[in-house]
Amino acid sequence: MREKPAIIGVGRTRFGEHYELDPEDLIDEAGLMALDSAGIERRDLEACYISDYLLQVTNKIGLEEGFISQLLEMNIPVEKMRSFSSALMNACNAIEAGKYDVVLVGGMEKMTDRWSKIRDNLMLLVDHWSYYAGGTPEANHELLLREYIKEYNIRGEDQQKLMTTLAHISVKNHRNAVLNEYAHFRREIDVKRVFAARAEEQKMLGLYDFAPISDGATALILASPRKAREYTDNMVYVISSSLATDFISYPSRPYRTGFLASRIAMEKALKMAGISLEDIKLLEVYDQSTVLEMISLEDLGFVERGTAWIKLYKNFEDFKGYYDVDGKRIYVNTNGGLKADGNPLGATGGAQIFEVVKQLMGEAGQRQIKPDGDFLYGCVQEIEGFGTKVYIHILGREKGGK
Amino acid sequence: MGSEPIERRVAYIGDRLKGSRCPFCGKEYFRPRKYCGSCGRKSLGKMEDIDFFYEKGILETCTVIREPTNRFTRLGAYIYGIVSFHNGRVRVPGRLTDIIIKGDETISPEVFEGREVVPRFRRRYSVDRSDIIPTISLAFTFADEYYPYQQYDIIKPSKEYDVPGIVGYGVYISRFRIKEGAMERSVPFIDEDAITAAVEAGKLALIHSGIDHRLVGKIYVGSESNPYAVNPIASKVAQVLKLGEEEKAEGVQGVDAVDTEFACKAATSMFKDAMALVYYPRDPMDYVMVIGADNAQAAPRGEPGGELDFFVGFGGAAFIFGMKDVIAEVEGWYSCTSDTPDFWRRDLEPYPRHGGRFTGEPAYFKHIIKAGRKLMEKMNLKPSDIDYFVCHQPNPAFPARAAATLGFKPEQYLPGLQVSKFGNTYSGSSPIGLAAILDQAEPHKRIMIVSYGSGAGSDAYVFVTTSQIKDKRERQKFTVKYQAENKFINYVDYATYRRFKEGL
Repeated sequence: MREKPAIIGVGRTRFGEHYELDPEDLIDEAGLMALDSAGIERRDLEACYISDYLLQVTNKIGLEEGFISQLLEMNIPVEKMRSFSSALMNACNAIEAGKYDVVLVGGMEKMTDRWSKIRDNLMLLVDHWSYYAGGTPEANHELLLREYIKEYNIRGEDQQKLMTTLAHISVKNHRNAVLNEYAHFRREIDVKRVFAARAEEQKMLGLYDFAPISDGATALILASPRKAREYTDNMVYVISSSLATDFISYPSRPYRTGFLASRIAMEKALKMAGISLEDIKLLEVYDQSTVLEMISLEDLGFVERGTAWIKLYKNFEDFKGYYDVDGKRIYVNTNGGLKADGNPLGATGGAQIFEVVKQLMGEAGQRQIKPDGDFLYGCVQEIEGFGTKVYIHILGREKGGK
Repeated sequence: MGSEPIERRVAYIGDRLKGSRCPFCGKEYFRPRKYCGSCGRKSLGKMEDIDFFYEKGILETCTVIREPTNRFTRLGAYIYGIVSFHNGRVRVPGRLTDIIIKGDETISPEVFEGREVVPRFRRRYSVDRSDIIPTISLAFTFADEYYPYQQYDIIKPSKEYDVPGIVGYGVYISRFRIKEGAMERSVPFIDEDAITAAVEAGKLALIHSGIDHRLVGKIYVGSESNPYAVNPIASKVAQVLKLGEEEKAEGVQGVDAVDTEFACKAATSMFKDAMALVYYPRDPMDYVMVIGADNAQAAPRGEPGGELDFFVGFGGAAFIFGMKDVIAEVEGWYSCTSDTPDFWRRDLEPYPRHGGRFTGEPAYFKHIIKAGRKLMEKMNLKPSDIDYFVCHQPNPAFPARAAATLGFKPEQYLPGLQVSKFGNTYSGSSPIGLAAILDQAEPHKRIMIVSYGSGAGSDAYVFVTTSQIKDKRERQKFTVKYQAENKFINYVDYATYRRFKEGL
């Protein structure tokens, strides 16, 4: 672990609507907070890896690197990726290659600036044949749910239980977000409300099953282990960083009751980290919909395929803040997930990392979890598109470290 | 703003649902590719062309879309899902069309999943009025409802005739109707127009005739409601139906294609040209296709020209002419023309105007009666020598009066009188009547058709059915009667009818 790149500072803005702020204002705020928390100066940065999905279409910004250079008043290398996890992975690669010692990883998105077109823009993340056939950003989530229901023959009362489980996931994430000062939605909802939205919209999945459209920015400072130890003795290491891809066209994938890319990326990440699933106590999954939180638990191996709906259902009968699956306890989306913390695409992964870092460092305040045994590892799953790219980052801290 | 190159590429593949099959492992792909992912290098350049245009798929999984993306909002709510072909070898995304989902209607995907569907060539989504009209066949309807699945088999011709005639035909009328009093009129679904109707009619004619689509030498499409002022419908029909020999490298079809316009006689006028081309001794064409298709336009009621709104319909008819396996031989023809502007539509105007009371006597009746009488004279025929008579049908009264004036009895003209079922389908009007007669005529029956096009003129033809008419009949389930008296017809109110007619 001590040879791995280390996160020495994190920062983020509140997620939600930022009517008065430009994207560069948001990344400035998150970046400054990350530099502050690392206790370094911007002059210490050797490079930046930033991410956003849609600034080109929402804000007509096509060369983000120049904004970063201007904000920093520096001429260091800046590279732009799509997702935060992608930026982090590339930053890790560079540090492990010995190219840089201190870099900033940042993500931003300004999705509410062109509200009337945002759902059309999101279709950029699926194949154009699905768009031409009339698909929407939400449609694949419902098709996946239907595939799941059919594959595991979940009928009648069982199907009702499945839909209740999904509602509980949303309720749980909303409850977690109440304690998250940066979250988009800091209010509790109940299961009835989730069902009411579905009924009102005459849809399988309703408003409370989907992550919102948010603005926001996140950032972190990543350092080589040697350099990190010069600054601090309180750090979280990125012990694995993996990526797998799948067909852009969901209908043409052979496996459609989950994301194959999640499974592959997780297997690679565990191998890279040299740990087992049981070691992971905290998991931030990419819950663009309640279905994806449930499915991801199966895809990542925490729950056996086809059983998450009923195992989680039982958990929610008397929910204790974590999922207890066959005796294994796992905290999931303690920040409220994409559902309640918010989902400003390019910044989202940064908020997931932010949460795991804070929790591992014991700085999560009221949200702080205290799992039984050693709490050394947390895992972040970030997805680009509909299961098209899945990134897994496993973060760890040293036993006996602060 | 659309992109012309993207529209060309998407339509080239998507209108026909083109794909590839690996000759080694049988793996199939939607959208063509040069090699098989499983077999790799050995398959490079050896992939077989396939397409799913005439195939039957299965709607595997679906959901209802009530909040579409921006370009789809005019469709309202619709079913969207995954359609598989060839036992799941290929899966594509698809939208169900020809279904109206009401705002408060609960949709259970289970009811739709697992059912057989047929791809339909439709408009894709809304675009600016100045843009290229996007089309695609990732729209589907259920195979066991209004539009049945029909296989397209190419059948080797068995008999050569001395004179040209009709080899096959197809009629396409949409599922939707508006009923006012005794009159029913066909209404396009919101994603249909004259282009989609022409393609459907042509497809049905190929299925009925069983001819090899590659042997069609020329395609004429007559219409007065082409949504383009410049850009032919015929080129779309030729490309989608792969008429003529395909030149694959360039993606062109070895066929002549042209649109014609002369109000409601734009198609019938070309019947004789088609027959001349297949008869031309030096370099005859095997087959020529003529389509009349219209999304007949009318101003809203109460506005100038709004009188037409009580009669307009939507649909098309396609006829294939040739010398082999003829079902109706041509015996004679006569046309007449005069500069009588009884009905017109100026460029850039959305709706036609007409000459009110002068559309009847000095226009419609004068030309139809002249052409009908003259052809009978020329051929030395009496009305009693003719078994069936059909003429242009702008409303129920005019054709009955014209037929009676020419000396025909109801039993001669009623089989072809379809206007009270479908409305006036403009260029498709008398051709649909002719098809209705061919649907039921015994061999060796004489049929007279007289079209009328405002502006003005009439084309009269006499055909005599052959013994082969009965052999081919079983190849066409989608007959005129089937479309007129179908239990899946969906009746819409006036507001919906106007909205659908305006289109996406």
